[in-house]
Amino acid sequence: MDPNSDLEMLMARYQQGDFSAATALIYRLSPQLHRFFAVQFASRGDADDLLQETWLRIHQVRHTYRAGEPVLPWFYAIARHIRVDHYRKASRTRGREERLEDVHEAQAPPGPGGAPNLEALLAPLPESQREVIEMLKVAGMSLEEVARATSSSVGSVKQKAHRAYERLREQLSGVGLSEGRTGDVREG
Amino acid sequence: MKDKEIDEILRQAAQAPRSVDPALLDRVAGSLARSLRPVRPLPPAWVLTSGLALICVAVALAGAARLGFYGIQKLSGGERALIFPTLGVLIWLGAAAATGEMIPGSRRRIAPATLLGAGCLALLAVFGVLFHDYRTGQFVSQGVKCLTAGLLHAAPAALVSWLLLRRGFAVNPVAAGLVAGTLAGLAGVTMLELHCANFEAPHVMLWHIAVIPVSAAAGAVLGWAARVCRR
Repeated sequence: MDPNSDLEMLMARYQQGDFSAATALIYRLSPQLHRFFAVQFASRGDADDLLQETWLRIHQVRHTYRAGEPVLPWFYAIARHIRVDHYRKASRTRGREERLEDVHEAQAPPGPGGAPNLEALLAPLPESQREVIEMLKVAGMSLEEVARATSSSVGSVKQKAHRAYERLREQLSGVGLSEGRTGDVREG
Repeated sequence: MKDKEIDEILRQAAQAPRSVDPALLDRVAGSLARSLRPVRPLPPAWVLTSGLALICVAVALAGAARLGFYGIQKLSGGERALIFPTLGVLIWLGAAAATGEMIPGSRRRIAPATLLGAGCLALLAVFGVLFHDYRTGQFVSQGVKCLTAGLLHAAPAALVSWLLLRRGFAVNPVAAGLVAGTLAGLAGVTMLELHCANFEAPHVMLWHIAVIPVSAAAGAVLGWAARVCRR
């Protein structure tokens, strides 16, 4: 079964008050939402808090999902809103921007099993590019879905992905060459 | 380094398992279970968009009926054929944009600021083409009267629109407020075009069109206030 239609079905059942569907959605989507927050914030505690807050908000506004519409952009639009709100608060109270700048300087140590650490790999990217790459490459969303989740156009998403790749290329190879492509991303 | 190689690195990094504390997930599921009941999903976007457009037209017609249809009576057939379809298209675009802003993950066809700018420019162009009387008699007193009347009709349009969209959720309340304000402003301008018989170009191009940015700014401020309160 297509994973997206499966999610749509779970969402419809969740709207009908089915607890097993709600639980299935929580267990299925939480790891990628958690990663979405972890890519933006270094602290795991922050990511935990934001994940919890996101599910509470999703629960409050679950009636705004309409059957037939793509599910992931709906989830990510809400998660992104929670993250932006949190970022604003954090910036005001703790001088978050300076701390993130420090994080950007970090190198990308390997993750478990020798795989590169995604959070550190994406850390040098500006926030808007980081979220686009995370949605395209980790969540596996299409350009159209990312555009929906970020309230922007497909052209803008492509541009951000392209710039992110230029930046990653510089970081990974030390050569500032652009090839004018943004890798394998789904168009539809 | 080629894009394919970067793709591969990102793919490997993304495959690294991301564990979330099961206790946290249980806690989330538990907190949702307490208030889990069936909900009625929002109606389709076209229903909301049509509703918003109808609200704007109804408010404009009701306002003009109360104040008098002097403007539309004085306009020629050609002028009516250019002004009102333009307003109709802008109202439909504004209604669609407002609906999109209230539903997370909607496709954004036009950015709120673009809608505001393009709407004002389109009306400036239409009025610039149609009206060539450049006298400025009672420019300020007449203008303030029209601006006030336009805004007084934008307010109920905004209020009724909010009632229609209140079940939605604005992920960006400022953008949603800006779009809703623009839409309400268009309702105010439509009422003025139906009512106001002053066709002096400076009057129409400044005071009538000004209803839109003023209303949009008010909407954005309210959206900002809503965001502050939500925190």
